[in-house]
Amino acid sequence: MNLNYEHGKIIIENKIINRLDEFVLDFTKVLEKYTDYVIVSRYVVVLLGRARGTEDIDTIIRCIDKSLFDSFYKDFTEKGYYFLNLEDADGLYEMLEEGMEIRIAKEDTIIPNIELKVSKDDFDRYSLDNKSEVIIEGNHLFICPIELQIPYKLYLSSDRDIEDAVYLWDLFKEKIDRRLLKKFMERLHVKGDPHGIEI
Amino acid sequence: MELRFDKKKNLEEGLKFIHFYAEWVKKVPNEVWSKQQAELINSFMLNAKNFMMSREKYLEMMEKK
Repeated sequence: MNLNYEHGKIIIENKIINRLDEFVLDFTKVLEKYTDYVIVSRYVVVLLGRARGTEDIDTIIRCIDKSLFDSFYKDFTEKGYYFLNLEDADGLYEMLEEGMEIRIAKEDTIIPNIELKVSKDDFDRYSLDNKSEVIIEGNHLFICPIELQIPYKLYLSSDRDIEDAVYLWDLFKEKIDRRLLKKFMERLHVKGDPHGIEI
Repeated sequence: MELRFDKKKNLEEGLKFIHFYAEWVKKVPNEVWSKQQAELINSFMLNAKNFMMSREKYLEMMEKK
């Protein structure tokens, strides 16, 4: 992988854009007009090369006010998206306020969908404040910092999440801030050495 | 036949493949891994159009997860 990783920016040249990438890029182009966002978890490893699918794209946004959310709702609806949750704009906003996720897909489809939630803890806020920009073929999107993504995957701890953590480690071990990685591993009380993540 | 499932061994095998795959991804040009990945993901996406579950059932299933 020809991957340029500097100061939180990841440049992947000559990547063949797949249909899932197109879906995410189309969505985030609209989303970023309204709020900061960061993509976390499964799609991050797919974007960075793992050969597997994911049905939902976990996305964290900053808290937005109701009038901005109404514009967001109208814009997405006009652009051919719909909300899977059986709520109107008021109900969806309430769900976000209560810390619940809402799901958005293209009309007449269910998969893939965007799982959107508002930041609710220090890790979410850190991700938004220190997001990594990924540049692919003239497009960009924002993902959670790799130094937090690896410990978070270990924290989730299913076999698939551990595999994702190890994959990111293998890919970035010469490039990431190991001190920061260690700090997040300690804060989340996870250990990497049983899986070869030695810092 | 009695099937025995060793969770630890299964994870170890999975991780062996991950190391192998990550090394391959690092070694080949982006066009190569991303072409193979696109073929796989595009076929998933095509198949997803035939997903017959209602959104109510889908949300119910995701909540249970």
